[in-house]
Amino acid sequence: MSEKATIYEIMATAICRELRDDETWFLGLATGEETILLLSCVPLVAMAMAQDTHAPNSTIMIPGMFNPVVSEAPTAMEAEFGDRIRDWRCEMYSTMNPNLHEATHTRGEVDLGFSSVAQVDQYGNCNIVCIGDYHKPEVRLIGPIHQPGHLAFFGREIVVIDHEKRNFVERVDFISGVGFLDGPGSREQLGLPGGGPCMILTNKAVFDFHPETKLVRLKSIHPGVTLDEVRDNTGFTHDYIPDQVPETPPPSSDEIQIIRQQVDPRSALLPR
Amino acid sequence: MLNNGDLTQGLSVMAELKEKVCSLGEAAALIPDGARIAIGGFAMHNHPMAFVHELIRRRVRNLTTVGHVNGIELDLLVGAGCVKRVETSYVGLEEFGLAPAFRRASENGELELREYSEMVAFGRFMCSSRGESFFPSIELMGTDLPKHNPDIREGVNPLDGSKYHAIPAAEPEWVVLHAPMGDRYGNILYFGNRQMPLNLDLVLSRCTTNLIVTVEQLVSREHVYRLSEYNAIPRFRTHAIVEVPYGAHPSSCLQLYEHDKQHLRMYADAARGTEGLQEYLARYIYGVDTHMEYLDLVGVESLVGLRVVGGNL
Repeated sequence: MSEKATIYEIMATAICRELRDDETWFLGLATGEETILLLSCVPLVAMAMAQDTHAPNSTIMIPGMFNPVVSEAPTAMEAEFGDRIRDWRCEMYSTMNPNLHEATHTRGEVDLGFSSVAQVDQYGNCNIVCIGDYHKPEVRLIGPIHQPGHLAFFGREIVVIDHEKRNFVERVDFISGVGFLDGPGSREQLGLPGGGPCMILTNKAVFDFHPETKLVRLKSIHPGVTLDEVRDNTGFTHDYIPDQVPETPPPSSDEIQIIRQQVDPRSALLPR
Repeated sequence: MLNNGDLTQGLSVMAELKEKVCSLGEAAALIPDGARIAIGGFAMHNHPMAFVHELIRRRVRNLTTVGHVNGIELDLLVGAGCVKRVETSYVGLEEFGLAPAFRRASENGELELREYSEMVAFGRFMCSSRGESFFPSIELMGTDLPKHNPDIREGVNPLDGSKYHAIPAAEPEWVVLHAPMGDRYGNILYFGNRQMPLNLDLVLSRCTTNLIVTVEQLVSREHVYRLSEYNAIPRFRTHAIVEVPYGAHPSSCLQLYEHDKQHLRMYADAARGTEGLQEYLARYIYGVDTHMEYLDLVGVESLVGLRVVGGNL
């Protein structure tokens, strides 16, 4: 079978390669249908794919469940919790007391999480609160919800967003998730135990962070996307394009098989 | 050793076991203008919506809502002009997008906002439930939340000199929840295998004894004795209890019915404009006198279609 990978499969594969064995991963609530696809469905497929390949000892934590059987996902994860998930088997329902849930996070037991943003800046600071002045914003968004916790405590964070120019700014209008704030040393100075963002994944490209300057840089461009297309749709003002930008490695035909036959056999999560 | 000395005085007066059942109108009338109120539920689940509708019909004003993850219950209250100040981590409609009325009011600068993160917002209620006035957190270090929330203060840990934020307890004056069942005396029963949204409601229930609970069905005292392991809120906490079938619609009542996606989508579309929001309020809230009339408007077919009786048990 030599079917071409879809953009969502390419994105899931890019995440899958960032995931390691023996880790715990956390995925929270998403708002808006497009965000649900990018922030819930793509990471779920990636995590299940990793569990089915190189990371069987990892733990998927989603609202209400530990290690759900992702292949049995009834539909896209439209709402946190809810009774429909009773049809979705898992190793453990997190019927827990909220402070147990909280403890897992503040104790630093989550190795990696996922965020969506309305804006992300050159140091990976994230904003889901408002566009414009906080007291009279042009656009009021959902509020910080769990983003401060993700970026304060998790080992690392993957930001998953639609590739639109306005999403990438020099400085976010409101910091709801701390990236590297003002650059090297900022997180340490704040006393934040988590590692901060490690990747910005879009439907066009992958970004990571320069290990010394902590500035966002373009890491790879997805198959079929040109550098000009990325440049035209990225609002960063700093020099984020290295001399050589490779193509994002697409899933192998084996990996495509794993996604389509094992992980998401009914295409409940990713459109094909 | 028991002291048998003064028992006669207590025994000489026979008191009644207090019934706490009241109507939706009587319960809503307990909330004065300017009250500080925590409305239970989480995102799409278990909001006491019939109670919220009644508050709106009573045109209560200047509320401060203290919450964690808010949805349509807060959007409606804001849209109807009942709210002065909002303390929360999220106001949104999940798959149906941003909360339209909250968004508009915020963009017009009409609300006092006190922004917290989700876990810190949970923590504020746990703090209140322990009777403490604040707790320390490093979660918000470096974010803009403390900059725009004057209730959060920076402090120094006296043990090691590190910095933290002092987070004030939630301290609601009133808490209102929606639950599956309860008795006339205020015992509140949930099914087993509760998910986190319901456990959060229980944390809220421990923050005050000014607790109002709407329930799907009143059950007998015998029922409570028989199912005492499901009794999650002891009656001394409950100030008033109201029987309101489908009282969480269009949010869910977990383990009984799901949130009404069709209705929520209709609301999200309608409320995007001021006029649409006013039409929604006029039709579903101001235009009906009772919760039963509201349910008539929603329709039997829609309501029955939402049932998941025994879900996730």
